[in-house]
Amino acid sequence: MPLLLTACSTNVTVSGDYPTALTKPLPYHVGLVLNNSFTQYTFESDKEQNVTMALGQSQSKLFDRVFTDIFANKSSLQTVSKQASANSNPIDLIVVPNVEEVQLAMPFETRLNVFEVWIKYNVQVFNGDGEPIADWLMSAYGKTQTRFLKSEEAALDQATTSALRDAGVRLIIGFKHIPEIRHWIELQEKEQQKTKVMAKSGDPS
Amino acid sequence: MKASYCSLLFSRILFPIHFPVICLAVVFLTGCSTSTIIDEYKITDTHLDLDQGEQVVIMGRRHAGEYETEPDFINCIGGRLANGGQLKVMPEQEFLDSFYPWFEPRVAPLKLKRMSHMLKDPIIAERIKSLGVRYMVWVDGNTETTDKSGTFSCAVGPGGGGCFGFASWDKASIYEAIVWDLKQLDEKGRVKVETKGSSYMLAVGAPIPFIAQVQSDACEGIGNRLKGFFLERPAESATPTSAPKPDSERKLDHRGMIKS
Repeated sequence: MPLLLTACSTNVTVSGDYPTALTKPLPYHVGLVLNNSFTQYTFESDKEQNVTMALGQSQSKLFDRVFTDIFANKSSLQTVSKQASANSNPIDLIVVPNVEEVQLAMPFETRLNVFEVWIKYNVQVFNGDGEPIADWLMSAYGKTQTRFLKSEEAALDQATTSALRDAGVRLIIGFKHIPEIRHWIELQEKEQQKTKVMAKSGDPS
Repeated sequence: MKASYCSLLFSRILFPIHFPVICLAVVFLTGCSTSTIIDEYKITDTHLDLDQGEQVVIMGRRHAGEYETEPDFINCIGGRLANGGQLKVMPEQEFLDSFYPWFEPRVAPLKLKRMSHMLKDPIIAERIKSLGVRYMVWVDGNTETTDKSGTFSCAVGPGGGGCFGFASWDKASIYEAIVWDLKQLDEKGRVKVETKGSSYMLAVGAPIPFIAQVQSDACEGIGNRLKGFFLERPAESATPTSAPKPDSERKLDHRGMIKS
């Protein structure tokens, strides 16, 4: 009996690698909080077929890569908290990603020769004082064609890696366009301009 | 046609031992055939310029929900176009990684206008220049099974196992390649290929497959024509091309039929 159950289950550890982003980094210092529920996230489905997919490590690698590339400075943080003001390189933004939902569509369900994966994230953004700025619900999609003699595990790995690459696209291109983040960036730019003008005029306040 | 003939035989012949022999004879007599139709449009009769250090990249379209252009097919065209090192072809995955995220399915430019807009970003333009990517060939299409018929079954018993039956399936490959010049920001031509073929599986004890190489024939067709854009075309496959026409009058200038 256990042998039969094992035969009908699929276990995947997502193993994708993600390239460096070709983008101009934002001139801020970001703190990335990857909590345990994110770094060790495992999706389990017990519909007609048992599927266990460990994607925590791979998605952590992606978020780490992306936030290193889209900001001038990146630090890894344990929690969201007010940063010490004495810090010479204070953190401007704190980002905490969470997995909201994962969905799979396998050939036995759709009768298509394709594996599909959807991942929905909630990316929470806080300012350097730990006050919330934005909650961004972001979804990513990936699929693969089944190949002759390719295992279900390899196909699911490929579809999930493709979904994570897509999540990277949304983060790299979309992060600075979230209305609340755009507004925050505009405020920072105004603040910097004001500081520059005051420095020129010699006003110490 | 051959498949339905064999299915008919399968259902009518009372002595199954005759069936595989007749089917085998039919298949051997006619062979697994593919037919390829190639349409080509070139904006100029002269070969496309490719300076020292410049290269071509071949990319598959993957934005549609119901299909995606197979990466293996793109690699196959790349191999044909490289022609043993005569042309420098950048591997698709290497290009995608070098320009991540700008050519991922969600955001890849579908039209030249959007590509021109992307090249206004100095980071992207600089990377294109540093890698010497002069031409981008977008390939859209896929290979699919269009029809299936017949059955065969396999069984294993204490004394051994075996298969018996006959099955056939038809495959069709339809692809279109569009050549973009990233220096002049215009389209240099198109190649469209349609390949169809039938495959058979005859099982009398052991299964004997007769597979039509539909996708590889499509790759050969499209790859050879694209090679003709950049290199001197071999005499036997050379076909004349029309004078340049404006986009509004675009017509396919010749149609070649290859039977294999």
